[in-house]
Amino acid sequence: MGLPNASGDLSSEMEVDAFRRLFPLRFHERHLVESIRPDARPVGRARETTLALGAVASADGSALAKIGSTTMLAAIKMEVMTPSMESPDEGCIAIEFHMPPICSPIVRPGRPAEAAPVVSKQLSDTILSSGMINLKELSLVSGKVAWMAYLDIYCLDADGALFDAALLSAVAAFSHLKIPVVSLNDDGRVVVVSEEQEGGKLENEPVNKEKRKLTLSSIPFSLTCILHKNYILADPTAEEESIMETLVTVVLDSSGQLVSLYKPGGPVLAYSSAVQDCVALTRHRVKELQKILNEAMSDMEVD
Amino acid sequence: MEIDRVDGRTPNQLRPLACSRNILHRAHGSASWSQGDTKVLAAVYGPKAGTKKNENPEKACIEVIWKPKTGQIGKPEKEFEMILKRTLQSICILTVNPNTTTSVIVQVVNDDGALLPCAINAACAALVDAGIPLKHLAVAICCCLAETGYVILDPTKLEEQKMKAFAYLVFPNSILSVLPQGSSLVEGEPMEHGIITSVTHGVMLVDDYLHCLQRGRAASAKMSDFLRRSLQSQVPSDSSKAG
Amino acid sequence: MAGKAGTAPTTYSPSPTQKTKTPIFKGEDLDWVRPDGRGFPECRPAFLRTGAVNAASGSAYVEIGNTKVIVSVFGPRESKKAMMYSDIGRLNCNVTYTTFATPVRGQGSDHKEFSSMLHKALEGAIILETFPKTTVDVFALVLESGGSDLPVVISCASLALADAGIMMYDLVASVSVSALGLNLVIDPILEEESYQDGSLMIACMPSRNEVTQLSVTGDWSTPKIHEAMQLCLDACSKLGEIMRSCLKNAASDSQD
Repeated sequence: MGLPNASGDLSSEMEVDAFRRLFPLRFHERHLVESIRPDARPVGRARETTLALGAVASADGSALAKIGSTTMLAAIKMEVMTPSMESPDEGCIAIEFHMPPICSPIVRPGRPAEAAPVVSKQLSDTILSSGMINLKELSLVSGKVAWMAYLDIYCLDADGALFDAALLSAVAAFSHLKIPVVSLNDDGRVVVVSEEQEGGKLENEPVNKEKRKLTLSSIPFSLTCILHKNYILADPTAEEESIMETLVTVVLDSSGQLVSLYKPGGPVLAYSSAVQDCVALTRHRVKELQKILNEAMSDMEVD
Repeated sequence: MEIDRVDGRTPNQLRPLACSRNILHRAHGSASWSQGDTKVLAAVYGPKAGTKKNENPEKACIEVIWKPKTGQIGKPEKEFEMILKRTLQSICILTVNPNTTTSVIVQVVNDDGALLPCAINAACAALVDAGIPLKHLAVAICCCLAETGYVILDPTKLEEQKMKAFAYLVFPNSILSVLPQGSSLVEGEPMEHGIITSVTHGVMLVDDYLHCLQRGRAASAKMSDFLRRSLQSQVPSDSSKAG
Repeated sequence: MAGKAGTAPTTYSPSPTQKTKTPIFKGEDLDWVRPDGRGFPECRPAFLRTGAVNAASGSAYVEIGNTKVIVSVFGPRESKKAMMYSDIGRLNCNVTYTTFATPVRGQGSDHKEFSSMLHKALEGAIILETFPKTTVDVFALVLESGGSDLPVVISCASLALADAGIMMYDLVASVSVSALGLNLVIDPILEEESYQDGSLMIACMPSRNEVTQLSVTGDWSTPKIHEAMQLCLDACSKLGEIMRSCLKNAASDSQD
């Protein structure tokens, strides 16, 4: 704000909505002084988070995650491939993050959002380097056939903290994933064994009768924070992200190890104390998210 | 605990640094930066009138174009562009030239590890060469973490692939201030200890990360000295390009 | 460390795609049941909800059977710079499928044909004079395709337009009918659509009894077309009522 005095004079007689639009930074700072945010949250609290598993019937595993209004739909489709020469007993995971034009006013058809490939890359780095999934479990016949898991995450509503919501929906989709039972047919192709065949006698034995679920070790969870002056705001909305530009994303796995600490620039410098505060907030958040994931999974088992 | 490095360096030893400026004549500013066999060329054009769509016209806009050594630009390059753009935005004084766009073009000449830090250093030197107003310089470094929690600096590509985890860290350089307070302290820490950018890859303990930070800060002091020296030494020759 | 990103291996879906199943319909047999157990003139259950996307000016989510669609409406907002001056508003439509919408993984690309069909179906219902010089964007995303995708997208889009407060003469409800031999089945699912001999789709404004779009493909006799149109129009007026009550509920909820 170039003219702090001018805005100060106006603010006394202006409507709240007008003030919010004209002087967004001052509007937010006035809230922060009172240790509260415009949506009535305390500074360090994340928005309400919900998780629903199995939202897409046509996929092998799927989940819908909502953090505040930010909504992510993740679905996994399993396909078959020939494993590479270097790793003959490993499958593969391909992760893609999409921002369709429905999710935000700044995305137009034909011109993909700038953020989409970046979040995509961040997600695959996080998921693959966290060691959550053992790629060997995706092997069917060593050296011959293996699974390729296509994970597609769609942002249905973009309201800040996109990476957090996308990662949550991705890990939930993996925990919901049920690998189809398949058998090798005479041509060497892999075909699905349908449910009615499963009980009866089969021409070809299924190759993966017992391996229907992946064992997920050390699941990564993340929290994005805004650094602004001395404040640390957890789980920012899109409005907050556009006004205060310094973002720090911390990813911790369920055993408390650091998977990623991501701070792409921003006008505020992060000192050791701020880094440790962000990590502490994330520790707390990981517990919340773990609980939400466990509840969603036990709900599925009841159904 | 000691790890022998292939090229015989000590864990804290950086590869030989080289920086030369004003190497392209059509660009408004340019620099090449090399750390061992990793070499990056950066060119700056601008400030040009107008900002792109969805950018704030009240501020100067920085645009980064990443040119890989071979092949098409993919997701990793897009991410590098975004990180580089945000990092440069945080060191530039954006209010001096509002509603302008400055383009930074980064050409990878050779990648032998620590590519992004090398590109950030090159871009920073190129911005100085172009005379873009900056708050301070940025110094980027790569720290690698071995299985045993051992930290080595400025890894080669081979070391980067072998190690458990690595972190790219960017710090501001130390300010030589004429004002009496000298380098200002923020929360009991000197300003050059604040992180501008941090990108990590691989699982590590939080304490290991903090250890990386410490080592990175120590090394960045040396690198910022080098950067300052190499920028100062070339100032006289700059007058030829004044037009 | 980046892994196998560079070389994408070729993959295929293990599910049987083009297995020659016996067609669900045989000759003039009138006794067969539809794969989901419905009667011929029976529609699938519908779930409608407005305000699905907060970032948009208006939005709606519609689920009819397994067909799930989200539509967001943005605007009226500034037209593209290259556009000429216009006394009336512009309508811009786009339909996209998710990669997991279809049984076999797709590319998730734009559906050009549906985009222009959606535009044509809505154009007649919107009072474009109310927002001169500006553009209203209608973006649809098909989350899951379960048959009758276009009619669902059209109905959902008109709900989203109403939610955004765009002036319309009436809501647009749309239903399609498939001809299987001599039989007409309304609101076909994906399986029925793959065996159909012909299809007829109507988008209409039920309370004005006006049709905004009619598309017919395949082999039809005149009496059959009349029968199918009557079937569609009846279903549209019922769907229109459901849509209206959905909007009323949303409005009364927001007042509370």
